[in-house]
Amino acid sequence: MTIRNISFFLFALLIGFSLIVLAQMSNGQRLYVSPRILDDYRVTIEGERKEMESIGLQIKETEAKIEEYLELQLSGQDLKNTLTEQLYADIALFRLASGSVDMVGAGVEIVIDDGTRVLEYWENPNDILVHDTDLLLIINELKASGAEAISVNGQRIVDGSSISCSGYTVRINGQFYARPFVVRAIGDGSRMSAALIGPGGYGTLLKDWGLVFRVTLKDDIRIPRYEEPRNYRYMTVATATDKREGENN
Amino acid sequence: MNRKSGIIVITILALLIGLIISIQIGTTASSDIGGLIPVAKARGLEQELRDLRVEKEAIMQEYLELESRMKEIEEKTLSEDALLQAATKELERYRLSAGVVDVIGPGVIVTVDDPVPTEENPGDGYSTIMLRYDLLLSLVNKLKDAGAEAISINGQRIIATTEISLAGDNVNINTVPTAPPYIIKAIGNAETLDATLTIRYGIVETMRNTYGLSVTIVKQEELEIPRYSGVIRFRYATPVESPETQQ
Repeated sequence: MTIRNISFFLFALLIGFSLIVLAQMSNGQRLYVSPRILDDYRVTIEGERKEMESIGLQIKETEAKIEEYLELQLSGQDLKNTLTEQLYADIALFRLASGSVDMVGAGVEIVIDDGTRVLEYWENPNDILVHDTDLLLIINELKASGAEAISVNGQRIVDGSSISCSGYTVRINGQFYARPFVVRAIGDGSRMSAALIGPGGYGTLLKDWGLVFRVTLKDDIRIPRYEEPRNYRYMTVATATDKREGENN
Repeated sequence: MNRKSGIIVITILALLIGLIISIQIGTTASSDIGGLIPVAKARGLEQELRDLRVEKEAIMQEYLELESRMKEIEEKTLSEDALLQAATKELERYRLSAGVVDVIGPGVIVTVDDPVPTEENPGDGYSTIMLRYDLLLSLVNKLKDAGAEAISINGQRIIATTEISLAGDNVNINTVPTAPPYIIKAIGNAETLDATLTIRYGIVETMRNTYGLSVTIVKQEELEIPRYSGVIRFRYATPVESPETQQ
């Protein structure tokens, strides 16, 4: 009888230990992920959905256009006129979008300058100087609040515009500028200024450091066109065959 | 006597099982980094994303076909006229500068991802690169400085009005929410782009050493960057036409 009891006991012990071993093994195999990963997936999915929606809209637009073309083609000569009109309208729009035209409109003018206060002995002069990252963040904030055209010290900000500190000066579109920096932006003025000088805004932050930061709402902001030559040496328009090749990869 | 020993054995067994359960709970609780979630759930989302991408690929293909059909009609009608042909070329140039065409060329692909949480450094459940989105801004600025002709982040083309902004828990680029890993593509001189980023004490070193981000740079002979897919509209700005441009 005792032998049966003891063997029963040992058997149970074995099961118990194998449970522990099992638990440890599965722990090592990453059965769990951090909740952030799930969040990342959800955001990416949301982003893709949004993209698909906009592609869907474009498909509908294109379909409508093709139908219109075909109808016009049946009726005769009108198609050429319609297309010509549309061609010039497109040229006008994309000239604006590429920054090749001077623009006027309501917006904000921002002046940023180095601080003039006396430094405490523990402070670094860098604390009260304007840096390229300051300008980058301000421009980014303006874009996020819907700016349609932006210039810094008279240089139009286009897709390829970089801003970099090089010693005492800042290089914008390959041209050198020094303080003070005047940033102009056309768009919803109250929205843009609220984003910058509201609580937690980047302008407030700079002011707290002791820098000069002034925002003025204006009705007649004028922003010059992008003047530098645009020669593309590396990129070419992707054709339909490129795409098909790309898909096989 | 017999019955008594049986009770003792069962008592010991119950104690043992209780011990095992408490140990088991203890081990899972100690490795709990901000509340862990079964990997199966993540797999489900991964699958959903993959399906969505396939679907998107399909409708993109449909769109491209429609677009080429439209272009065909336009070209056939406009090609008879030399003036209109020149205007079409001009339009292509402006569209290229505005970032509304897909482009290909040599360049680099930079992948930025959050540090992997470890036992010593579990992280606080927030994404480092999303909170420090200014690092992305800086990285893009460096690429532009190095002469990049076209740049995209997670499929979003960088155009003149592109923002990278933290909105709630998301980083929006072109108002589309994005999440890590961030894949930044740039067309330009691959050597120059690579060297600008990886210079000692440069942006990539800061991202790796100060923030613990994982950054990889791959040079490519040919890569494709998609067009800006949003709507371009000017509501506040109007063009100033000077006499020379009016002709």
